[in-house]
Amino acid sequence: MREGGRPLEPHADGRQRSAWLEEQAEVRAHERRGLDWFDLRLHAPQIAARALPGQFAQLQVRPVGPAGAGLDPLLRRPLSFCTLDPGRGEISVIYRVVGRGTALLAEAAPGQRLSLLGPLGSSFPDPRRAPARPLLLVGGGLGIPPLACAAAWALAAGRPTRALLGARTAGYLAGAAEVAAAGAAVTAVTEDGSAGRRGLVTAELAEVLTAEADVWACGPAPMLSAVQALCRQHGAGCWLCVERPMACGFGVCIGCAVARADGTGYLKACTDGPVLRGDEADLAG
Amino acid sequence: MGQAVDLGVHCAGLACANPVWAASGCCNYGRELAALYPLAELGAICVKGTSLLPWRGNPGPRIAETAAGLLNAIGLQNPGVDHLLAVDVPWLVEQGATVVVNIVGRTVQEYVAVAARLAEAPAGAIGAVELNISCPNVREGGLQFGADLRAAAEVTAAVRAATALPLLVKLSPNVTDVVAFAAAVERAGADGVSLINTLLGMRLDASRRRPVLANLTGGLSGPAVKPVALRMVWEVAQAVAIPVVGIGGIASGLDAAEFMLAGASAVQVGTAIFADPRAPLRVRDELAAWLCAQGVGAAREIVGAARD
Repeated sequence: MREGGRPLEPHADGRQRSAWLEEQAEVRAHERRGLDWFDLRLHAPQIAARALPGQFAQLQVRPVGPAGAGLDPLLRRPLSFCTLDPGRGEISVIYRVVGRGTALLAEAAPGQRLSLLGPLGSSFPDPRRAPARPLLLVGGGLGIPPLACAAAWALAAGRPTRALLGARTAGYLAGAAEVAAAGAAVTAVTEDGSAGRRGLVTAELAEVLTAEADVWACGPAPMLSAVQALCRQHGAGCWLCVERPMACGFGVCIGCAVARADGTGYLKACTDGPVLRGDEADLAG
Repeated sequence: MGQAVDLGVHCAGLACANPVWAASGCCNYGRELAALYPLAELGAICVKGTSLLPWRGNPGPRIAETAAGLLNAIGLQNPGVDHLLAVDVPWLVEQGATVVVNIVGRTVQEYVAVAARLAEAPAGAIGAVELNISCPNVREGGLQFGADLRAAAEVTAAVRAATALPLLVKLSPNVTDVVAFAAAVERAGADGVSLINTLLGMRLDASRRRPVLANLTGGLSGPAVKPVALRMVWEVAQAVAIPVVGIGGIASGLDAAEFMLAGASAVQVGTAIFADPRAPLRVRDELAAWLCAQGVGAAREIVGAARD
């Protein structure tokens, strides 16, 4: 498979884009980890070597085989990297079974191969650019896993890093263990109080946010909107990892539109994002 | 690839190294795919529908997957013909791509203005124009032309008069008799027709009790629409004298062969690109292997052969 050899320009704020490729990744481990979410570890050395936190891969949900990918479901599933281990050539993703595609993916067994396109999209900003600024990672539900490699990246750059992680119940704190394992100080909250304090993660953020901090957030749209508003109020740096329905993931379908804050049209979640600057996106648009 | 097979085709005045093109709206302006392979390997690249001024497109969600298919309601978001001519066409020429410019407008005058502007490109830079009168996702400039025989003929004749480039008209399946439209645009001066554009459809989210797409309805594409497309290509190819370009759910070399056997001189691969960006080249190679296995020396020999 010819790779995407063209180096892609980084954003002025330090978010990086990678040359992407297709790789047949071998399933190394695949475990049910919670109510209906799965932890999938893949050997994908070429993608692992160039992937950065905040980026994602498009996974073919059916293993590579004589029948091909099949025509139904038609599309790949975009999943953000949870952990990155270029030394072992491995990446991991955490996903929830929400429909037929993810249900098929859940059947992939160790040793089978899955086709991946990646690494796709724009990463969180390179943390080495502001090594002294405190970093607050804010994650909600299935938005938590991408913060695990983000925490590892920031801590390796010497950034003081704290994670505020929230979910509906303890069973949906997917990836919180990985964020903690990366070395970040984790505060967990749940809406029902089944783990950590009872409440919303954005209430925790409001208590600790200062103008000196940067926030990297990933989670459901209402959480991201609240984070964006809090960062604006406090004058804090703000980067939001957004999710949109997308067909291709590499910029040709223009399906994953996110309105620009200045009203001049749309950003693409797949290539302009998924990590967008808080001041460039109108999440309600 | 079958080295003995001649894949070259002539279609509506356009000479193509192979009959497998990338469909408009599925390859943007080529830059993303060029990261993976040289665009010169495509039979042709039909760039994103381009309007006189930039179009904003529709709010999201714009995409919804369906059984073996995809609904989209992008709304023809594009940066306009100035950007095409200043940035994309010169770059595509550098890539050695065979370029088909898909054009859109809200009025006949807008279509004509875009077509006329294409004369500013260096000679040979643009291989053909594909007149898009079939987008189901815009209030103006889509089906008001593509689902009205008189309007279809009128805009075709006007664009015909405005450009010396080969002119394809991309037809909508959202009509009762697609043959009548093919015949009407043929009479109005089209050099060829491409079909089908997407089928109007929708999805509902039962638990939210709301349509999934912000536009409420969208255009259905992908393998799910292939039988409809194949039937329409079959009908049109025997009714008109101009070449037909087959589009609709093509994802394999065998799919491409079926459309050519039904009468298509060339085919476009669209939605398949989203899951497999190399799909057009894979389809080309599979087609060549199939032709080789069939003992066919040239791809053009099978055009319409299912009707012989």
